[in-house]
Amino acid sequence: MTMNFRNRWTMVLASASATIMTSHTIAQAPAPAKPGVTVTPFIAAPVVAVPVTEAPKPVPVLPAGSTAASGWNVPPKWSDVESTGQYASVRGRETNILVEDSGQSWRGLRNGPLTFYGGIILLVIPIMLLTFFAIKGPFRLHEKLSGRLIERFNSAERMVHWTMAFSFLALALTGIVILFGKHILLPIIGASAFSWITIIGKNIHNFVGPLFLFSIVAFFFLYVKDNLLSGRDFEWLSKFGGLLSGNHVPSGRFNGGEKMWFWLSIVVFGLAVSISGMLLLFPNWNTSRELMAQSNLIHAGLGTLFMALSLGHIYIGTIGTEGALKGMKEGYVDETWAKEHHALWLEEVKSGKRNAKTAGVHQPAAGDD
Amino acid sequence: MARMKFICDAERCIECNGCVTACKSEHEVPWGVNRRRLVTVNDGKPGERSISVACMHCTDAPCMAVCPVDCFYKTEEGVVLHDKDLCIGCGYCFYACPFGAPQCPQAGAFGLRGKMDKCTFCAGGPEEDHSVAEIKKYGRNRLAEGKLPACAEMCSTKALLGGDGEVIQSIYKQRVKRRGKGEEVWGWAMAYNRKSAKPEVKV
Repeated sequence: MTMNFRNRWTMVLASASATIMTSHTIAQAPAPAKPGVTVTPFIAAPVVAVPVTEAPKPVPVLPAGSTAASGWNVPPKWSDVESTGQYASVRGRETNILVEDSGQSWRGLRNGPLTFYGGIILLVIPIMLLTFFAIKGPFRLHEKLSGRLIERFNSAERMVHWTMAFSFLALALTGIVILFGKHILLPIIGASAFSWITIIGKNIHNFVGPLFLFSIVAFFFLYVKDNLLSGRDFEWLSKFGGLLSGNHVPSGRFNGGEKMWFWLSIVVFGLAVSISGMLLLFPNWNTSRELMAQSNLIHAGLGTLFMALSLGHIYIGTIGTEGALKGMKEGYVDETWAKEHHALWLEEVKSGKRNAKTAGVHQPAAGDD
Repeated sequence: MARMKFICDAERCIECNGCVTACKSEHEVPWGVNRRRLVTVNDGKPGERSISVACMHCTDAPCMAVCPVDCFYKTEEGVVLHDKDLCIGCGYCFYACPFGAPQCPQAGAFGLRGKMDKCTFCAGGPEEDHSVAEIKKYGRNRLAEGKLPACAEMCSTKALLGGDGEVIQSIYKQRVKRRGKGEEVWGWAMAYNRKSAKPEVKV
């Protein structure tokens, strides 16, 4: 029979405190084929090794006239052996596996829900944001500009932010081409032009990716201090930043929404997308197909959510809030803006608790470094 | 029109690697790529069997479904081929294929994999038949010459059968009937459909 001895003899032991096996009983007990045989806990009796005979496997019935030797040289059950490592004379990664099933589920999820719902999210979010903009318009300042400028982001913070922002845009656009381009762009521009765009896009994606990872790490260390959560942030979040009531909930340098963006998107999504991306980026690490397929799901799935959330961030940071983009572009914000959006931060700056450069409106932001 | 399929008869395969060698020499396959390979299950134990694996030219081909640039196409004979000029070397076909057929000549850092290569059922590629470009990229186009795949032609025990699915299945049926075992046509359930996995043998 083809079965090994493991199944035929199951070692049945008494409870752990039971008598230690004597060499006598071992000699009587049939030796297991391999060490580390499954040990099944059994009822209390202090009897040690009892051979349990398995019900004999039915011998394959051969048709009349068959020349096959009954019960011996029978073919294996393919479903049992094809996914496990076997012997292959051709060397290489996973050449010894007959069938790798995981690709099928990857295909189903990637081509199915990931493409479908991911596409819907990426279409619906911008429509929602633009509708909001059309109805409510941007958040404007209530008071006049004071003309006094306060430094909100120093040059290192801005450089890292924009490195991250532009590398993110490059990755997002090329990623969209790889996941959705076949459905949108290919029918319009044809196979040849689309292939060129995707080859260039793939290489941009692959070489910009590590830059994005570095910018995430640098960003984290530069911004984490002011993004630590406090009770105030939950109040901010519960009131939705005062969006509905129209009254700003006073906040420090970063408000609850900004902190959520920091922790959820930059830290969680950013790291998940980066790590899964690294696994895909280096096929020379001998990564298995299964791991690469799983990484691809995480990468594309969270990447799509990251893109959707970033649309919200981009909206609030550009057209959605008067004066916000200027803060990240030039580093300085007007005192009125600071008072209306980050009152507690302004207090800290004014009371001298926090060092921040100030400037008059007519002075260019020279020497800001 | 005939539907081209492969059968590897595990009861006959002697793991001589003739098919692997035939394929490599016929097509001058890129280094590091083996369009066909042999897997031996239960090696050295009773019930040992060898299977020669390559692209099975699936009906619903996963490689084709996941390709981000749609570089795959299917001939009238059901042979799954691809256009190396369009291939971007992303490796998705390689994740998706259950048989490990699509392979990239490189596995370099930053996802540099080169153009994917796989078994063509000796049917070349999208270029003009027997053109230099076709031979360089995909190897010889034996089907256009009226010949069957080199691996199956070369098989010393005729374990590997390649050709019209109905013809090779009827040959296989006769064998199963005569020897009374090994009735499962390996890989067919996955590549074509569940029913075709076991030819109905009336004894």
